[in-house]
Amino acid sequence: MLETVTQAVINGLLIGGIYALVSIGVTLIFGVVKIVNFAQGEFVMIGMYITYFLFSTLGIDPLLSLLVSMPVLFVAGALIQHVLIRRVLGPNDMPQIFLTFALSLLLLNLSLLLFSANYRTVHTFYSDEAIHLGGLYIPVAKLIAFVVAMVLSGALWVFLRTTDLGKAMRAAAQNRDVATLMGINPDLVFAVAFGAALALAGAAGSLLMPFYSAYPLVGQVFVLMAFVAVVLGTLGNVIGALIASLMMGVAESLGIQFVGADSGLIVVFAMLLLTLAFKPTGLGGGRMR
Amino acid sequence: MTDALVVSGLSKRFGGLRAVQDLSFTVRENETLALIGPNGAGKTTSFHLITGFHRADTGSVSAFGREIVGLRPHDVCALGLARTFQVAKPFGAMTVLSNVMTGAFLRDRHVGIARDKAREAIAFVGLSRHEATAAKDLTTIDQRRLEMARALATEPRILLLDEVMAGLNPAEIDQAVALVGKLSARGLTIVIVEHVMRAIMAVARHIVVLDHGQKIAEGSPREIVENPEVIRAYLGSGYVHAPGTGDAHA
Amino acid sequence: MAVRWTIPALLLLSAIVLVLPQLVHNAFALDIFIRILLFSFIGVAWNLMGGYARQLSLGHAAYFGLGAYTSTIMQVDFSISPWIGMIAGGIVAMLASLPIGWLCFRLRGPYFTIATIATAQALMLVFLKFRDIAWGAEGTTIPNLGSSPLMMQFETKASYYYVVLGLLAIGLSITYRIEKSWMGYYLVAIGEDEDAAEAIGVNAPRIKRDIYMISAFLTALAGTFYVQYIYFIDPATAFSFNISIEAALVSIVGGIGTLWGPVIGTVLLETTSALLQSWLGSTTGGVQLTVYAMILMAVILWRPTGLMGLVSEAWQRYPGRKPAGARAAP
Repeated sequence: MLETVTQAVINGLLIGGIYALVSIGVTLIFGVVKIVNFAQGEFVMIGMYITYFLFSTLGIDPLLSLLVSMPVLFVAGALIQHVLIRRVLGPNDMPQIFLTFALSLLLLNLSLLLFSANYRTVHTFYSDEAIHLGGLYIPVAKLIAFVVAMVLSGALWVFLRTTDLGKAMRAAAQNRDVATLMGINPDLVFAVAFGAALALAGAAGSLLMPFYSAYPLVGQVFVLMAFVAVVLGTLGNVIGALIASLMMGVAESLGIQFVGADSGLIVVFAMLLLTLAFKPTGLGGGRMR
Repeated sequence: MTDALVVSGLSKRFGGLRAVQDLSFTVRENETLALIGPNGAGKTTSFHLITGFHRADTGSVSAFGREIVGLRPHDVCALGLARTFQVAKPFGAMTVLSNVMTGAFLRDRHVGIARDKAREAIAFVGLSRHEATAAKDLTTIDQRRLEMARALATEPRILLLDEVMAGLNPAEIDQAVALVGKLSARGLTIVIVEHVMRAIMAVARHIVVLDHGQKIAEGSPREIVENPEVIRAYLGSGYVHAPGTGDAHA
Repeated sequence: MAVRWTIPALLLLSAIVLVLPQLVHNAFALDIFIRILLFSFIGVAWNLMGGYARQLSLGHAAYFGLGAYTSTIMQVDFSISPWIGMIAGGIVAMLASLPIGWLCFRLRGPYFTIATIATAQALMLVFLKFRDIAWGAEGTTIPNLGSSPLMMQFETKASYYYVVLGLLAIGLSITYRIEKSWMGYYLVAIGEDEDAAEAIGVNAPRIKRDIYMISAFLTALAGTFYVQYIYFIDPATAFSFNISIEAALVSIVGGIGTLWGPVIGTVLLETTSALLQSWLGSTTGGVQLTVYAMILMAVILWRPTGLMGLVSEAWQRYPGRKPAGARAAP
């Protein structure tokens, strides 16, 4: 019994790492740019397709394609922020909500048109490998994904805490006007935030490919998880998003193990409902970290 | 003369910050009280507490004998306590007339009647020529007038004005002071948060001084100006003279 | 709008709309008209809450589905007329909007939107699971009774056209009455600045709750109509995210928070969709939504007030005009 639970917890943590990459991106954008990026999931999807095509045409391993997907998505993010998002930043939230929503719709449906709904998979030499530890089964691909996810999250956190640009981002998150007065260029800061968030999404995509199939709607699954994790972890709080994502991964996994195969979504909704009902501000302190 | 507004032991913390500590003061009916103090003293927070935008941790506020702590802002307004905001919050997409009508609907839901009442309030603050202008197209000062008209349309007995004079030139200050005078002449009880000394001296007989969330002085304008605590709060200890030496009026 | 020729124009439009099914007999065309009327109605229902009060829900499919299922269950299991079922569905939706609203209104802005999406998805999941009362994932067809007006089944498309036209007329007149009344002002105030509204006595939570109930009720009526029209129901159709999207989309594109906005938006979007279908044949849904997404982006970036905003601005330049109603020119 203990073994089953531990296995489920491990499975949950491993996938939770991926959820963390996606949700940290959402919370970072929300904290700094003050908008919700409805299209975050679609950028995971794009990361997956980039990785797929690099693998199928050039034989490049998904882990190596991180070196492609992350920079490409970073640049895409900065461009999207500069060209599109910047125009709708203002007091009214309707345009902000519907712009990223429209982007999500656009990317999803373009992908459907271009790539069809077929599942694309990538099979690497480690896709089927697993580490056996005691009675536990730890798939290598997922373990790598988790480790890299944690490294990237850690790197972001360090960046936010120690570098000037990172601090500028946190300043802009707390008070945009004062930050501007201090000489911080909000446009630059927003572009970096958006770029970083999308780079993380792209990373999630690359890391997923060895054990997860790509298809146009794949983003929707991850983005829902991400949003719940962001609310649970407190809006704008990076560490909160990380911890909440891991929690959700574990909760989902335990649900699947003990309740039923498709109870994952139910667990997610239950967590969202509970958060909304009892602590809508989330578990964090309400501050961006 | 009855007590219009009695604030007693009001306190609020935000995390580690004690924004307002044990604040007490009483405003008689038809009196104009000025609430002053350096920036961050807790003046606007006090307004939020009184009008229900924040829930006080401890203490009580009663308006004409009725306890209002714990009531939501709309209920506080319905009881006759209206406020303006430090940074004006107009309904940008609506016209001036519509903005003020929205206030008037509190007392009467009939569109025609609300419109008439709104026009009256708009005329009172001197915005009649902008009746059909979109609120977002007004100047900042006119937006403040709008805010006042909108609050007046709710037919308050107590009006809380938050820094309505900020950024005005002397002529405009005189106009604003005259407006406050007119409001008082109508029987309103007014609590005004202000930094502009001239205006305070002109409108208020009773002043409460806050610093770091606490009341440090209360009294007539003259008493306040000579109070060493007040001087210390605004200018620092270096400026405090022993009583009786130096000039001591505004 | 206080322009001289509005009333005659409206009368002319009404006449055309009323007479249309008598002149056009092509089934495909009538189907398009019915879709336009239906989605206009759904848009109008959404607009009350999302347009005027700016509570941007993307979960209205929840009520569409609840309406559809209520009337269908009543019809198939208890042989109760869908006319009654339609009202019952509306009531069920109204009641459901209370707890859903309570939960979702605890979040503001985009997080409110996300919460509404989640609740609609959650409802879909529930209906997918519960085969006992609601036929699970395969759904059900409703028995074809031929011509049976009392059971909301008609032989000619024209009759369906008039039913949905009636619904739209109801929706528009409710919107008009609200817009011109104190409630209209309160809704716009809440949409503009909820705190400022509270400060002048607007009981925002109650008003939001009330408008949500009205919006949910109307949306549910559309759900019942749709089942009756296509003779089929399943959770994927009834709670389809696409319905939630289109409800919001037509209002935004046409003119958010205006009376005719949703109608104009629907005409544009559905006509585009129909044209796409005829040029490209029966394609994957991908094309339609791609085009919708591009139109939405274009509107957001260049004319967030929608097509009505364009019209309104043009009208402003017309000499001698005065704006009327709560809203000034955009």
